[in-house]
Amino acid sequence: MAAIQEYKCPCCGGAIAFDSTIQKMKCPYCDTEFKMETLAGYDSELRNDQADDMRWEMASGEAWQADELGGINAYVCQSCGGEIACDENTAATACPFCGNPVVLMGQFSGELRPDFVIPFKIDKRAAKEALRKHYEGKRLLPKVFKDQNHINEIKGVYVPFWLFDTAADVQMRYKATKVRTWSDSKYDYTETKFYAVGRGGKLRFEHVPVDGSAKMPDDLMESIEPFDFSEVVDFQTAYLAGYLADKYDVDAERSVERANERIRRSAEDAFSETVKGYTTVTKETGSIQLQNGKVSYALFPVWLLSTTWNGQNYLFAMNGQTGRMVGDLPLDKAAYKKWLFGLTGILGMALFAVSYLFWLL
Amino acid sequence: MRTLNQRIRTVFLVFVFFCAFFLFGIPSSAADLPRLVDQADLLTDSEESALSDRLDEISERHQFDVVVVTVDSLEGETAVVYADDFYDYNGYGFGDERDGILLLISMEERDWCISTTGYGITAFTDAGQAYISERFVTDLSVGDYAAAFTNFAVLCDAFITQADTGEPYDIDHLPQEPFDLVWNLAVALIIAFVISLIVTGIMRGQLKTVHSQSEADNYIKQGSMHLTRKNDLYLYRHVDRRKKAENNSSTRSGNPGGSQTHKSSSGTTHGGSSGKF
Repeated sequence: MAAIQEYKCPCCGGAIAFDSTIQKMKCPYCDTEFKMETLAGYDSELRNDQADDMRWEMASGEAWQADELGGINAYVCQSCGGEIACDENTAATACPFCGNPVVLMGQFSGELRPDFVIPFKIDKRAAKEALRKHYEGKRLLPKVFKDQNHINEIKGVYVPFWLFDTAADVQMRYKATKVRTWSDSKYDYTETKFYAVGRGGKLRFEHVPVDGSAKMPDDLMESIEPFDFSEVVDFQTAYLAGYLADKYDVDAERSVERANERIRRSAEDAFSETVKGYTTVTKETGSIQLQNGKVSYALFPVWLLSTTWNGQNYLFAMNGQTGRMVGDLPLDKAAYKKWLFGLTGILGMALFAVSYLFWLL
Repeated sequence: MRTLNQRIRTVFLVFVFFCAFFLFGIPSSAADLPRLVDQADLLTDSEESALSDRLDEISERHQFDVVVVTVDSLEGETAVVYADDFYDYNGYGFGDERDGILLLISMEERDWCISTTGYGITAFTDAGQAYISERFVTDLSVGDYAAAFTNFAVLCDAFITQADTGEPYDIDHLPQEPFDLVWNLAVALIIAFVISLIVTGIMRGQLKTVHSQSEADNYIKQGSMHLTRKNDLYLYRHVDRRKKAENNSSTRSGNPGGSQTHKSSSGTTHGGSSGKF
């Protein structure tokens, strides 16, 4: 008697047939036996698999109003091509990204007006203090670097971010095992039970930020996250007074990929955590459907300091809202060697003395 | 005159004492052969005399024969029988128990054999003999016979000295290995270097604060997660059966140490061990 529907063996993937003698489904390739209901259940589990749908509505932001742009000057950097804006009362002289002089380009123009802005909460003095603290306790930082006084050149910049809001519909399938071991007088037994585990559900993401400035390294901006979105206000040009503003030059379409990557990872992790009580869990497939994806354009406050040392550019950034300070620092190679070999010497002698003591006992 | 008489009597007594001493005293080892018998002629003359002197010195000091014999052939005997008989019929051994140890080397089949007798059975336990043989067999294998025999003699000296304290070297307390300076220093430095790499690595890590975020966990709306499907479907099972490994450790831990003995053709009890080199 052959089964009407063809099933695939969950163990080896071969076509599986009904074995009338044992009244069970049996795989002719790997000899694994299954109950009929098991295979039917597994089959319906497989039918849950879907392709990803991670599309977004890109209708974000609105156009500038005619009178708004009048009060904003645009500058362009002679060196890196960075384009920044500030209100007409603030004079920008140096590029916040590379430290080179900037020239006035004239009237600011931009495709989109930001939807939101998070105003600066931490002032310049606190930012300087945070930078000083950032240098502290780092033994491998060159002394010269600490002593050279660049701290005055710290600048407050509004960095453009794309914010992604969406509800994610997640379907996951895992292969999981439970392992049990026991022994009798002659043999050790290991039993491995295999399970098909399915999880599905919904999850909402709000304001996943992706930096919209090409001059801002993405990892630097992701390092000063998170920004607290509860303090967001509707954009007004007045907030730009005294600060520089960067204009987005990576559009939302190109930023989507990064947002999707992060959303997918978080969604999958969240559902994986609900698979409990197994020895091993392996993800087989996972699909994410995004619903009501919405993109908005916002300016986030960042204190920036660009420093050139030994021909290399070091960019430090501080979250202007939470005070989180990041920035890779140079390594003092001589100090590193001193520590490495000094420690090796001291520890080596100590260990040698200990080994001698053990020998004496 | 009294003083002269007394002096003569004293001299006489000393003479009698010395006669008795030489007749019945130290040389109670009535061996027919020297303590080094190099029939296979493996040693140079100078090596032979140096080793011979050493064996004599150790033997007399401990009142315990330490004998080294090299032969070309065992003449059809096993090494153990040959060694025991060589010891018995050549009259080695101090005292009634015929205390001594003999190391036999036969070049024909490259056999070595240790035979212990009397106090030797106590002083050189099976574990002790294994310890000693490990330290001369390599030298034998490469043909450095003088070094092997000198090693043997020095170790015998140490073992007898230890046995005289009432606690011979045995399975649970063998001579301590000398402190290996170079090895210990090298290991200490390597471990120290690895630890230093980790410590300085952490210090380097403090300089780097820029890291990408791979997830968006901060932006999940609180309480927005709803699990609508939760299936845990049992599919199949595999059972793996593996035969337990034979447990030898029980017999090993049951070894009480000491020496196993056997009787030789002359009826004397011997301990011993043998092997190839």
